[in-house]
This record gives sequence, C-alpha cells and structure tokens, in this order.
Amino acid sequence: GKEKATQLFSEGTAFDPSAFAEHLLSVMGINRLEDEEDEQQNGGAVDGYLPQDAWHRVARRAECCFRTAPSFHYMFGSFHAEPPPPKQRTE
Amino acid sequence: TSQVQRGLEKVTEAQVDQKSAEVVQYFLLKDQKKVPVRRADLVKHVVKEHRNIYPEIIKRAARTLDQVFGLKLVEIDPKNHMYILVNNLETSGDASPTTRPTDPKRGLLFVILSVIFMKGGVVRENVVWNTLKKLRVDPGEKHDEFGDVKKVVTDEFVRQRYLEFQRIPHTEPVEHEFRWGQRAEAEVSKAKILEFMGQLHDRDPQSWTQQYKEAHSSQNSSQQAGGSSQR
Amino acid sequence: MSRQMGDSHRRFLQTMMANGIIDEQGAKTLHQHCCQTHNAQYAPDRLDDFIDTINSKLQPMFMQIRKGMSEDNGHQYYALVNMVENDVTRMTSDYADNELELFRKMMDLIVGSEDGKLSSIDILNSADSMTTKKLKKSEVEHLLNRLVQDKWLSEKRGEYTLSTRCIIEMEPYIRTMYQDQVKVCHICHAIAFQCQICENPTCGIKIHNPCVARYFKGRTEPRCPACEDFWPHEIPEVRRLRSQ
Ligand SMILES: [Zn+2]
Ligand SMILES: [Zn+2]
Repeated sequence: GKEKATQLFSEGTAFDPSAFAEHLLSVMGINRLEDEEDEQQNGGAVDGYLPQDAWHRVARRAECCFRTAPSFHYMFGSFHAEPPPPKQRTE
Repeated sequence: TSQVQRGLEKVTEAQVDQKSAEVVQYFLLKDQKKVPVRRADLVKHVVKEHRNIYPEIIKRAARTLDQVFGLKLVEIDPKNHMYILVNNLETSGDASPTTRPTDPKRGLLFVILSVIFMKGGVVRENVVWNTLKKLRVDPGEKHDEFGDVKKVVTDEFVRQRYLEFQRIPHTEPVEHEFRWGQRAEAEVSKAKILEFMGQLHDRDPQSWTQQYKEAHSSQNSSQQAGGSSQR
Repeated sequence: MSRQMGDSHRRFLQTMMANGIIDEQGAKTLHQHCCQTHNAQYAPDRLDDFIDTINSKLQPMFMQIRKGMSEDNGHQYYALVNMVENDVTRMTSDYADNELELFRKMMDLIVGSEDGKLSSIDILNSADSMTTKKLKKSEVEHLLNRLVQDKWLSEKRGEYTLSTRCIIEMEPYIRTMYQDQVKVCHICHAIAFQCQICENPTCGIKIHNPCVARYFKGRTEPRCPACEDFWPHEIPEVRRLRSQ
C-alpha cells in the first residue's frame, strides 16, 4: 500500500514539459482550426495558429517572476558632437 | 583599506562623487544589453587613475543605484568580479497605468527557465528544444520574432548570464545541458514561477514538493536579503 | 517639502526609464499609482515638485526628466533625457557607428528642411554618401523601423520627422549645432520643425502648428503677433487631451 502511494505521488508531482507547452499555447491565444478533430487524428497536435502577439502574452504573464532592472536609453551623448557640414547653396 | 584611506586623502570629496556618478552611468549603460560588468573593464574605462580608491567609488555608486534608482548592484561572480543590476521594487504588473513595452524574448526565456527549474535544475538541451517546438519555435529555423533562436538561447541568454549551456562530457554525438545562470538566480523568483505553474496546471504549487522546497529555501533567502539593502 | 526620494519616486523613475517618454495625463496617473503603491503622501497638483525631487538626485549623473510639447498634438510630455556627452556615454551600443552617422545626416536634413520632414527616398539617397560602413537599402529600412520603435523618429505616410522624445532630449544640441538654421517658435520659444511662418518678408516669425491653434483660437481675423500683418495660413483646431 505504502509503495503504491509513493509511486502515485511521484507520478503526480512529475513535471511534463508537453503538458506545460499545451497550457502555454492557450495563454498564447492559440487559434485551433475548425477541423481540429481530423487534424488530431492525423497526429497534428501542432496545428492551429498563434496570434501575432503570442510571445508578448507569455512575456506579460511572466513579468511578475522577474526583478529585472529597467534600462536607460538615450540618443544625446551617443555620438561625438560635431557641427554639420556647411550647407550647399542651391541658388 | 588603509591604502584606500591614504588614496582618499589625495582627492577631493567632489572628485570621488564625480567618479562614482560616472560609474553609475557605466552600469546603466552596460545594463542596456544586460551584459554583466567586469571589474577590469570598469577600472579600465571609468575608474582609471583612481583605482586605488576603487572600493570607496563602488560603494558610493551602489548607494546611488539603490537610493535613486531602486536598483541593487550584485556581484554575481566574486571570483571574476562581475556585477549586474537587479530591481529592488516588485513588478506592479497589471496595476501599473503605463504599460511597459514587453519584450517577446522574455517569454522565451521564461519558458526555458521554467522547464529547467521544474525538471530539477538541469535539463538536456533536447528537452528545451522539444518544448519550444511544441510552441512553434524551431531552433533549426529562422523565427519571425526571434530570428536565430539557437543563437538567442545559447549565446545571448548565456552572455547575459540567464542561462548556462554546457557540454555533457563523453557524449557522442555531442550533447549539452541547460542550467540557470547567475543572473537568473539573482533576478528570477522560483516561488513566483511555481505559483504560475500552479495556475497553468490548475494544481496546488505545494504538490510539486521538491520544487516547492527549493523555491522557498535558498532562493528566497538570497532575494530577501537583497530586497531591502542598506538605506 | 521633503527632497528625499522614496520608493514612489524610484518607481516613477523606473517607469520613465522603461518608456523613455510619457504624456502629461500618463504622468499624472503614474504619479498617483506610484504614491498609492508605496503608501506615500499623494498630492495630485504637485507632480512637478515630485519630479523635481527626482531630478535633484539625477543631477550628478547628468540625467533629467524634462518637459516638452509635442509638435503633433500640442500636448505636454515628460521624457527622461541624458545631458552629457563623454567617454562613457559614447559607449552605448543601441546603434552602430554607421547607424548613428545616418541618423545625424537625417538630423542635418530635417533641421535644414522647410517643413521638418524627410521622405524615405531622401534618407536612402543620403545613405549613399556615408563615410563609415555603407548601409544596404534593407538595412536602412530596418534601422528606420528601429528608430521609430525606439521613439527617436516619427513616421507618417512614408515621411519621417524627429519625435517628441528626440526633440526634448536633443533641443540643446540642435540649438548649438545648427545655430543658423534652427527655427524657434514665437509663442512658446521652443525649437520648431512643424510650424507656420509669417509671410511678411521683414518679419518671418515661426509658430508651431499647435501654438497657432491655441493662439488664434476664437479670433475673427488672425494677425501676426509680431508684425500685425494678416496671417494667411489655415488655422488648425486645438487638439483636446485624450479622455481619462
Ligand atoms: Zn510653440
Ligand atoms: Zn509677422
């Protein structure tokens, strides 16, 4: 009995990357094709298409797990200050 | 330190402050690409002739980063003296009125870190590639958003120290394995990942006993210590 | 008033770092959000004081949160800018040297142009005369996309202008580097790219389009504020703030 329980438990706690990926696809807003059943019978678990912002959706959901420093970007100071070449007169 | 003291006697307070402000600029600049800063480069490019008072300069720079920017200067590799910046403030997430621009690569990184963590801290590269394939990202093909995915994962993320990518000895053909990098250890919350996993799988995070233990021991202590540094 | 920074200030600054620029309404909402998140005292009418506190601490790093007007809609914006050029700041790696060279050529052309605009054809042409490593057509197009995405340029129907963020950060630079060419608005005294010009040849003052809209609003016969001549241009409508 005890053996069976630990076995069940370890099965329960195992992490399955495929299941994880399936769940993520819904976070990503996957759009399953209408004839989904046919596709799946053909082993086409990779069917359906992802929206443009699919990875942005994951990124947004994951943001709370990160303590990333925001970075500072600038244009002034990134190149040597130099006056422009004298303008050619067009008259 | 007595050497530092003697060095300090030769410079004005304003000079030390100016140097440390330049060091702050340098850290912010290097953080644009999330590449760690080496002490050697910092000395060569910024500290220069003031290297004898380096400890004082770095101390003041860390204080400014903390008190002005809410950022923590972390030495991730004490042997090679490398520094990164980590945020002291929690992400305010959906509550924030201004939506920060999101980086899709962040999603990619999150998936990989999650798989590694949930698989016990180390995974063979195939596990990662196969998971990504299920998410329509093929490391062998050019991706619309990520370009050369393999390069992003094994080069960019590795240089940024989010990931470690190492050859498994004695494998034929050659195989690699992934681990969390030092930046990930300092910056990413395992507890939050586990919480997210629970929501995704509709399960109690505690049911992953090993991961739960891991998330609420080592990492928490290191992050908490960092969270509120000397003010 | 306390000049000490708290987490509310730090969160505000971090959001400015991440976004580069936000409009006035966004800044007000963010101010409130930051104060509430960290249980700090919130005074809705003290946004500029709040920002001054941050600026006083940013000063040693030559950084600043600076206010400026959008030439497009006339609204006020806040941008986080860098104010110094030195060995450290030039080490930035957002753009390669040849990309920066092209950007500077574009600035030359925009500042020197009548209407402050530049077509993509003009840009591709000037890419031909680069002294550093030449950029291919596709690379120029990619660069333009990045510059728009990073909010240094604005694009409308294939024409490029300097963005509000760029103008706010580069204003002192443009004023010194292009002394003889730069136009200044008669009403708000900021530099002007998109503007109307008085047609009296002895006058010729410039006014931003949004400043024109505000200045002449409700006046029956528009006259130049400097020379009193008839103002012959079409008077644009005042653009209202987005509701929120
Ligand atoms: Zn004006
Ligand atoms: Zn006039």
